[in-house]
Amino acid sequence: MTALLAIEGLQTFFATPAGEIRAVDGIDLEVAAGECLGVVGESGSGKSMAFLSVMGLVRRPGRVVAGRILLQGEDILGLAPAARRGLRGRVIAMTMQDALTALNPALTVGEQVAETLEAHAADLPTGRAARRRAVRARVVEILGLVGLPDAGRRLGDYPHQFSGGMRQRIMIACALVCRPRILVADEPTTALDVTVQAQILDLIGDMRRELGMAVVLISHDLGVVAERCERVAVFYAGQVVETGAVRDILDRPAHPYTRGLLRSIPRLDDPGRRIEPIPGQLTPADARPGRCRFLSRCALAAPPCRADIALADLGRGHRVRCVRLRP
Amino acid sequence: MSPIKLLERLIQLGFVLFGISLIVFLMMEATPGDPVEIMLGDSLASAEQKELLRRDMGLDRPLVARYLHFVGNALGGEFGQSFFHRRPVADLILERLPATIELTLVAMVVAVAVAIPLGIIAAVHRGGLLDRLASVGAMLGVSMPGFWFGILLIMLFAVRLHLLPVAGRIGYSHEVPAVTGLLLVDSLIALQPASFLAALGHLVLPAVTLGLAMAAILMRVTRTAMLEVLSQDYMTFAEAKGLSRRRILVRHGLKNALIPTVTVAAIETGSLLGGNMIVETIFAWPGLGRLVVEAIFARNYPVVQACVLFYAVTYVLLNFVADVLYTVLNPKVRL
Ligand SMILES: Nc1ncnc2c1ncn2[C@@H]1O[C@H](COP(=O)(O)OP(=O)(O)OP(=O)(O)O)[C@@H](O)[C@H]1O
Ligand SMILES: [Mg+2]
Repeated sequence: MTALLAIEGLQTFFATPAGEIRAVDGIDLEVAAGECLGVVGESGSGKSMAFLSVMGLVRRPGRVVAGRILLQGEDILGLAPAARRGLRGRVIAMTMQDALTALNPALTVGEQVAETLEAHAADLPTGRAARRRAVRARVVEILGLVGLPDAGRRLGDYPHQFSGGMRQRIMIACALVCRPRILVADEPTTALDVTVQAQILDLIGDMRRELGMAVVLISHDLGVVAERCERVAVFYAGQVVETGAVRDILDRPAHPYTRGLLRSIPRLDDPGRRIEPIPGQLTPADARPGRCRFLSRCALAAPPCRADIALADLGRGHRVRCVRLRP
Repeated sequence: MSPIKLLERLIQLGFVLFGISLIVFLMMEATPGDPVEIMLGDSLASAEQKELLRRDMGLDRPLVARYLHFVGNALGGEFGQSFFHRRPVADLILERLPATIELTLVAMVVAVAVAIPLGIIAAVHRGGLLDRLASVGAMLGVSMPGFWFGILLIMLFAVRLHLLPVAGRIGYSHEVPAVTGLLLVDSLIALQPASFLAALGHLVLPAVTLGLAMAAILMRVTRTAMLEVLSQDYMTFAEAKGLSRRRILVRHGLKNALIPTVTVAAIETGSLLGGNMIVETIFAWPGLGRLVVEAIFARNYPVVQACVLFYAVTYVLLNFVADVLYTVLNPKVRL
């Protein structure tokens, strides 16, 4: 079976006066049709950049320097800009990390949802009036689906007239109005209240079932991902350090960083357990090649870690980038 | 804007206008020279006659009374007689105003038409050749004195190339029936294409001279605003939707970037009025600016006073308009 989305050896670098920053440094990932892949990692680990690269939205001075991105089997890195644009929002959609700033304050929400549709509308009627009616109907439909109360009457409202949770729903509607095959949801809950977070995650799950699409759920919270996804990829300093089925990762974490992550989240089934944060923090200096990226914070660091570490296969798709821990 | 906010601004506006009237009044009071002496010039009037004239002009009454009289008259559009023209000042101003309005409007249109596209291009190609050229051009535009630039234009286009006229609003051979006072409009109403072209030809050099500095300022404002907008999340999200680049720039970019541009344009139009004095003098433009300059040299107090008041009030009103425009354009402030 060919994956819906396959990322191979993706590298995205930023040329800065201080030197080259390896925001994404050799990522391999696959997303099957209809599945939910969780992407976790701390701030600055390259989660957003990896998927902005997939979308073709990396801004200068950033640049995709190597790799292949296969969408429905076709390498989209080689496509002409117009062809690439035709995929965005139609086959692969993405919601931005911050719902509060991703909507344009000067345009009504109706316009902002409709424009995705208008950019790709192959199946809309040709007459002007009929077209406008059809667009409106589909905009109201999708806004209703994402749970915007009274959608039909609020098309003319501006983003600031909605709560954070509602704006997140509107952004999701913008992304889903063309019924894409895959949705990349970049930290859909970070800007929101705890009470609203679960609702938004439920919504994404519902929409996934409703539209039969695949979801890449980016989060810095392994707990959230474990609950919502079948598979997970753990990012660290621009690389995938461990990936596999959620069960395998939770039961047999094979990378010291993943283990640290697991120890640092509270668990309902073991409330008495101590929560231990991982000491130190990720800095751009950790993204240097020629050694394990986690070296500076790893309790198990040893001489063999001073080389580039390959992903080793532990079976059933469970892969890890560590030479010290082998179950 | 909410009615309360609007009321607040209007009250503010009232205070500012009061201040202006006071300053203009006191300024003229403090100016050296006895108005009566100036008005009568070298004529051999007797002391009695002078005293009579002084009383006639209300100059013998207390300061406060004179101020109230001045405000009352100004509100009624009554600014007294010009010393020399022997005509009501208000008539003089009304006669000159259309020429100045036409010049100012055309200068503004020229400035906006040049500045906004240039500012956008400069921002989109930030650091590129066009951006750097535009930035040097803006620097020159702001720092080049208007009179110098105007004379350069005259030397090149009129003296050397004989392409454009350099004085007046329209040739003497044209007779355009006045409707609005704006020759471009009136000549169209009268269906006189030749007159229209003549008026347009006369407008080119002064309007370019006048609009240059404004174009430079607007270009920079547009560029800065556009750069700010380009880095916003909603621009990335618009791209993620698969919109075309053009649509993203125009619909998502321009709409937000134009908010500061329009505001500054309204304020800068007030500054154009000041620039008018220089440009109208260079190009022998029969407008308000030249009237003021002539009046200043001739110590024609009533005319100067009325024009200064007119400039100040216009400037303040334009600022008020800018304020209102800003809120109207910005949905977030509109609530
Ligand atoms: N404009 C830029 N210039 C230089 N480096 C950049 C720039 N943008 C991003 N980076 C680099 O890319 C790295 C990855 O950033 P990215 O936004 O993908 O992190 P993330 O995992 O999404 O983090 P977060 O959880 O905070 O969203 C950063 O550590 C930073 O070094
Ligand atoms: Mg991110």
